[in-house]
Amino acid sequence: MTTSSPETGETNQRETLLRLYRETARGRALEDVVNRLAQERSFRGFFHPGRGQEGLQAAVCTALNTDDYLLYAHRGLTYLTAKGMDPVSILGDFHGRLVGSTRGLGAGTVHCVDPAHGIMGQGGTLGSCFPLSAGLALASKTRKDGKVAAAFFGDGASARGTFLESGVTAKAWGLPVVWICENNGWAVSARVQDVQGTSDIAPRAAAMGFHIQVVDGQDILAVHEAAIEAIAQARNGVPAFIEAKTERIEGHYTGDMQPYRDRDEVAAAKTRDPLVLAARRLLEMGVDDGVLDTIQEEARAEMAAADDEARQSPFPDGRRIHEGIWA
Amino acid sequence: MNEKPITYAWAINHALDEEMQRDPDVMLMGQDVGRMGGVFGLTRGLHEKFGEERVRDVSIVEHLVVGGAVGAALGGLRPVAEVQFADFLLLAGDESFHKMAKWRYMHGGILSLPMVVRAPCGIQGGVGAEHSQSPEGHYWHTPGVKIAVPSNPADAKGLLKAAIRDDNPVIYFENRRLYRVKGPVSSDPELLVPFGQGTVRREGADVTIVAWSAMVDAALEAAEILDREEISVEVVDPRTLVPFDMETVAASVRKTSRLLVLHEASLTMGPGAEIAARAADELFEFLDAPVKRLAGTDNPIPQNMALEPFCYPQTDQIVSTVRDLAKW
Repeated sequence: MTTSSPETGETNQRETLLRLYRETARGRALEDVVNRLAQERSFRGFFHPGRGQEGLQAAVCTALNTDDYLLYAHRGLTYLTAKGMDPVSILGDFHGRLVGSTRGLGAGTVHCVDPAHGIMGQGGTLGSCFPLSAGLALASKTRKDGKVAAAFFGDGASARGTFLESGVTAKAWGLPVVWICENNGWAVSARVQDVQGTSDIAPRAAAMGFHIQVVDGQDILAVHEAAIEAIAQARNGVPAFIEAKTERIEGHYTGDMQPYRDRDEVAAAKTRDPLVLAARRLLEMGVDDGVLDTIQEEARAEMAAADDEARQSPFPDGRRIHEGIWA
Repeated sequence: MNEKPITYAWAINHALDEEMQRDPDVMLMGQDVGRMGGVFGLTRGLHEKFGEERVRDVSIVEHLVVGGAVGAALGGLRPVAEVQFADFLLLAGDESFHKMAKWRYMHGGILSLPMVVRAPCGIQGGVGAEHSQSPEGHYWHTPGVKIAVPSNPADAKGLLKAAIRDDNPVIYFENRRLYRVKGPVSSDPELLVPFGQGTVRREGADVTIVAWSAMVDAALEAAEILDREEISVEVVDPRTLVPFDMETVAASVRKTSRLLVLHEASLTMGPGAEIAARAADELFEFLDAPVKRLAGTDNPIPQNMALEPFCYPQTDQIVSTVRDLAKW
């Protein structure tokens, strides 16, 4: 897709992949901290690990401008760090402390928010991102501020009626939406093929008139290039859709042993870890493995420090529940 | 400023027109609001005047109309969404009960949703069980949305203008039986009716009736009849349910010692239960009689227009209920 001279093209690709690798590693390191907190029961509530899906989240979110809107999904946290959110604020939400973006309302699957980075939140009901992203895109189009509205969702949520209602309207109005379907093949315990009669989601977006791309969600560079194209389409008023075929390596929530899934399938998913695949590619491109180790160490150190800092923040008192209902 | 009588419907139209003129971020969306000017004619002329970018027709997509308004508000617009009938708000259940009411709070209280949903309610015209309801109680039970229930053209205009300028989500219940009712309306474009300020529509000494929307006129009619029997009725119109002006209700009950709560929504678990409970709780020492409720009947509303009047309180029922209350 990228057309440039072979030499500069290769250098650019290597630099881009290194940047994406760093963002993926940061997301992974943050999730490792959160998973440990969940296992230690440091917070009460469920966390839905994004292991296996961090690469595509990083690849899309780094292609967005800082002020582009983002409605992220529940599976993982890499969207947030890749879009520029401070991990202290995210971890503050998990710990339910005042330093969190929700000032202590968080814990579990948190509703992190950071409008300065375009992060407009997450619904607790899946598929609610479709009308909201259409509305954000409508605001952008009407106010001519050039922003796109990106919304992430899984294969399960793509079956919601909101998908159709918002999709046909986005097409009719030429709204700058970018919808990213993280198709990991599983809606909690249901195989998408069994409950939707297909494993492919993109055709229904194509039927609504979206610009569609189907991409290997484990190939970070490919997703990044697809995202750049989708965002350009959206900025031109063509709603864009990316179906990233991805892998859910962990269960639906931390602690879900996935008894409903074939062991071989989970093992196969693990071989498609985006961080491992990207590392292999980078080594092939001549990057020293010491560089990759350093990136990993820096990511882990950053998130450990963020966790320490978040833990210093006080908890809210009971009065907090009455604050923030009204503007 | 001159005050000339216009209909409730035109008052709504004028409010939209004036606010769209004042603020380029105000836009309309809904079924048939554009080219047609609304199925009840409420948005007539606005599509021509403000263009299709600001007056947007949609398909049959209630999730999108309400959820899209949430998103548009988050993005800096002041959308006024219309569901064709208040009943259709329930089609956008997640978007209205959850997204509109909770998004700000669950994201820490740092985002604002300056949006209005216009919801035509009320029993009229033989449109049946799914086009006649008054679901204001459903939303009063949902923290996070403001609720306007205008009873006359002046309030219809002033409340809608205030709703559009409010930084919180508002559901604006407009009663279809009132659309053709005329009343004096100021042409002052800055005349707003503040939320949370009820008003005494008629002063009286013996019995307080709290009523809103189309039931206010019924209460006033009953008060006129009762006056001839020397029963003096005070009619309080809260104008908004969220926030609810309990102060004006309390001031009236302290004077009359008797309270009737009157509404069109069906009785059981209806909004009157909340007012009656609060009165019992907060005004017990002032009451000389049990708090009474008169409300819509507990049945789906039939399509046969001849049966409609049996479904919501009629003047004679109000008169006899007040008469009974006055005996205490």
